[in-house]
Amino acid sequence: MRYSLVVHVCGVLVRYFSAMFLAPLAVAIYYGERSDALGFALAAAISAVLGHVMLRAGGTSAEEAVERLRRIEGLTVVSAVWLIIAHLAAIPYLWVGIGFIDALFESMSGLTTTGATILRDFTAYGHAVFLWRGLTHWLGGMGVIALFVAILPRLSIGGRELFFAESPGPSEDKVSPQIRRTAVLLWRLYAALTLIQVAALRLAGLSWFDAICHSMATLAAGGFSPHPQSLAGYQNPAAEWIIITFMFIAGANFALQYRALARRDARILLSDEELRAYTGIVIVSTALLVLALGLSRGLLPTIRTALFQTLSILTTTGFASEDFQLWSEQAKMVLLVLMFIGGCAGSAGGGPKVVRHLVLARYTLQSLRRTLHPRAVLPVKLGGRVVPDDILQVVIVFFLFYLLVFSICTGIVVAFGADIITGISGTIACLGNIGPGFNLVGPMANYADLHPVSRFTLTLAMWIGRLEVLTVLVVLRPEVWRSGRWSADAREGRAQGL
Amino acid sequence: MATGQGRSPAFLVRATLSPALLRIVIVGGGQVGASLARALSADHEVVVVDQDPHVEDVFQSIDVEFLLGSGTNEEVLARAGVAGCGFFVAATGLDEVNIVACALANRLGQPQTICLVSRAEFLDSAGAGGGLAAFGVNRVIWPEAQLAADIERIVTAPGAIDAEVFAGGVMRLLEYRLDEGSALTSGPVSTLHLPRGALIVAVKRAGRIFVPRGTTQLASGDKVIVMGTPEAMQAVEARVHPGRTGGRLQVTIIGGGDVGFQLAQRLEQIPSIDLRILERGAERGAVLAASLSRTLVLNGDGTDLEFLESENVGRSDVLVSVIDNDERNLLASLLGRQLGVPKVITRVGRPANLRLFERVGIDVAISARGAAVVSILHQITGGATSLLAVVEHGEARVFELTVKPTFVSRPLKQMGTGEDAIVAAILRGEQAIVPRGDELVHPGDHLLVFCTQEAADRVRGYFTREAS
Repeated sequence: MRYSLVVHVCGVLVRYFSAMFLAPLAVAIYYGERSDALGFALAAAISAVLGHVMLRAGGTSAEEAVERLRRIEGLTVVSAVWLIIAHLAAIPYLWVGIGFIDALFESMSGLTTTGATILRDFTAYGHAVFLWRGLTHWLGGMGVIALFVAILPRLSIGGRELFFAESPGPSEDKVSPQIRRTAVLLWRLYAALTLIQVAALRLAGLSWFDAICHSMATLAAGGFSPHPQSLAGYQNPAAEWIIITFMFIAGANFALQYRALARRDARILLSDEELRAYTGIVIVSTALLVLALGLSRGLLPTIRTALFQTLSILTTTGFASEDFQLWSEQAKMVLLVLMFIGGCAGSAGGGPKVVRHLVLARYTLQSLRRTLHPRAVLPVKLGGRVVPDDILQVVIVFFLFYLLVFSICTGIVVAFGADIITGISGTIACLGNIGPGFNLVGPMANYADLHPVSRFTLTLAMWIGRLEVLTVLVVLRPEVWRSGRWSADAREGRAQGL
Repeated sequence: MATGQGRSPAFLVRATLSPALLRIVIVGGGQVGASLARALSADHEVVVVDQDPHVEDVFQSIDVEFLLGSGTNEEVLARAGVAGCGFFVAATGLDEVNIVACALANRLGQPQTICLVSRAEFLDSAGAGGGLAAFGVNRVIWPEAQLAADIERIVTAPGAIDAEVFAGGVMRLLEYRLDEGSALTSGPVSTLHLPRGALIVAVKRAGRIFVPRGTTQLASGDKVIVMGTPEAMQAVEARVHPGRTGGRLQVTIIGGGDVGFQLAQRLEQIPSIDLRILERGAERGAVLAASLSRTLVLNGDGTDLEFLESENVGRSDVLVSVIDNDERNLLASLLGRQLGVPKVITRVGRPANLRLFERVGIDVAISARGAAVVSILHQITGGATSLLAVVEHGEARVFELTVKPTFVSRPLKQMGTGEDAIVAAILRGEQAIVPRGDELVHPGDHLLVFCTQEAADRVRGYFTREAS
């Protein structure tokens, strides 16, 4: 581990992140929200300066730094950048008078596409703040670092480590052998889908502003809505159907969708086991929810509501088209189970991911068969291919750590005064980047009533959950830091004018 | 053992040529090469090329010329007389060498080239050597695949120990071993009331094969060969093996080599079969498990009695032993038989062992190289008839022949074909008729004739040769 490289690359990324504040700045000026505009300008300035300082402090030229990045350094950069950016993105919230812990919670919730909020009074904030909430979702959904890999040519080589550290699925999912091109194509698809949804929502009757905020929140599987009652506040079935469609897309593997689109071949989608399992889960859960809800709303509205809430929770978006806190325990149970599943690998969704459940289920079945046939060769297969043992182990370890982090966080939240249902649902909603839970943190409530320690813990849970647990936990290993040095070679550093 | 042989247009074309003395060059003096040389040496000029001096000893006793040298050396091939030869057979153990040899032979002359391969990559999806035509290969023979296909046919015919299909599926052949109390031993053949469209064409008893008459009484221990239309044969199956229609079939394959793997791939396509494959090598086992989807791959030695017992191999309906070693195959098969498997099919490497295996209690002994040799012999000695299958290790065969135009129509019973030949079917246009004695045979009819090896020439002459 060479800190100079890490600091330098983080500096590069942070400096570019400062540009992201320009969009809400423009909106603030457009709506005449002078004070907010100043906040965004300040945030941009701080990011730029901090980035520049880190970049300088790191020394080596950027091209070299990224090229020489090792695995662990890549993981450290990604973990650190996400933490730094969350703080920077919190500056505008601090500016409008939100406390530090809450501002960080809101900003982390946005970037990790969780969608859990601490805002009590939505009328107190201007358009720019709500756009910023949506934009942090949108950037975090496909990945901030993936975006930089796509637009910065100098990140193209070491970008590989960064790209996969940010979206660590069980398998490397690429649409081009070149990582930069992969990032470009995926971001392009993501942006195109967002534009289509904006147009569709506008046609369904939402204002341009609401359409843009909701689209960014949907495609990113985020869940922030500019309306305090989320989608329930609009009572617009057409908009709900549109969001249902795009939530489904956001929860499916984008690389897979790109391949199917590029080759104009729907069989690529149909033959994918994860997508089939994902679709199956959606259908079964919707049916169960319809059963649990009864038909008092009429058949079609019930199906719409059930489908909406199933997808909202499964894809970890977290919109609410109805206050599901008021639903029966049975219906809530379905939603709670969905919280532990998550979207597909390579999607915008969080959670443990469908593919990991699939692998784990197959592994369990094969282990059962092995007791019948001790000498049998029983590989775990996915899509007709054998899942190698090392990946299998990582999947199992992932679940163990996921449960460990989940238990610890739940313990903390409950210890600081929340009831158990709030603790469990709130923690999984943050760790899985979903958003709303039950009881105190229900869809129409917010996280502001939790103890500050709980809120801070859940902020960390969101960070750990977004980077899929292992990325962060590896970086926290003491031996990584013990073996750390500032620079690879002092003489080399001098030669470059340090 | 039987060997299926599809009719190819090339046969029919060559059928008009008179069989003449041909020069045949064989590259590779292994078992296939030696068997071919032995079979062809009487009627043809055969030159065998091999670079292994030890191989030469084998050919001392055969009336052929042996050339020491590489089959991919142009000069050696020129000396072997490839320029003027009619057939060129590349039968070394290396696929690439065989292909290059065929390509060279084509440069030197215009022989019909036959190339042996052992891997799937040289075949197109239809199983033909399409891609190899560019290398001057006229026909690709893949003995392992042929063997796997043969075994599949036998496995899927319940109770049968041999199975064949002819004329694109309109006729089937099944061979059964009759058990104590079998429905077919209840009385003389004429009283058995076999379904219309099925015919008992042969009985093998005490090492002798003969065509039964109406008065023949079948006994337990006899092997009977029945031919007929698919519908009739289904009824026969139900008669011979009542209760074994429908239900799941448990198949155990011992040995996960080329043949075992291909057989598993084929059998996986049949939903009613539960399949498992025993493979000794851990690495090979992993490869098998990765490529097969429904098959249970077990890592263990098929000759280990304890292992076979712990996996309940005795409960299988069929045991197929296809290890690449005759001794171990025999041991695995006998253990399977001992554990109570009703049908045991065993691969035999050395054709000389075929009869021995069946004598010690294995239901079907079958050889890949034998299949390849028969297949190549068809190509070379086609003649006026086409040999469709060889049954009981060459003691009997099934021919298809076309009745000569000068033949005077007459009913079958006036022909007096005797104990060693029988007309099993008349193919007339789209129709397949399983004849009775009063059925008329017309000129131009295609006949499927079952006969013993000795009777083959006589039968062929009777229907096809012009009276001189």
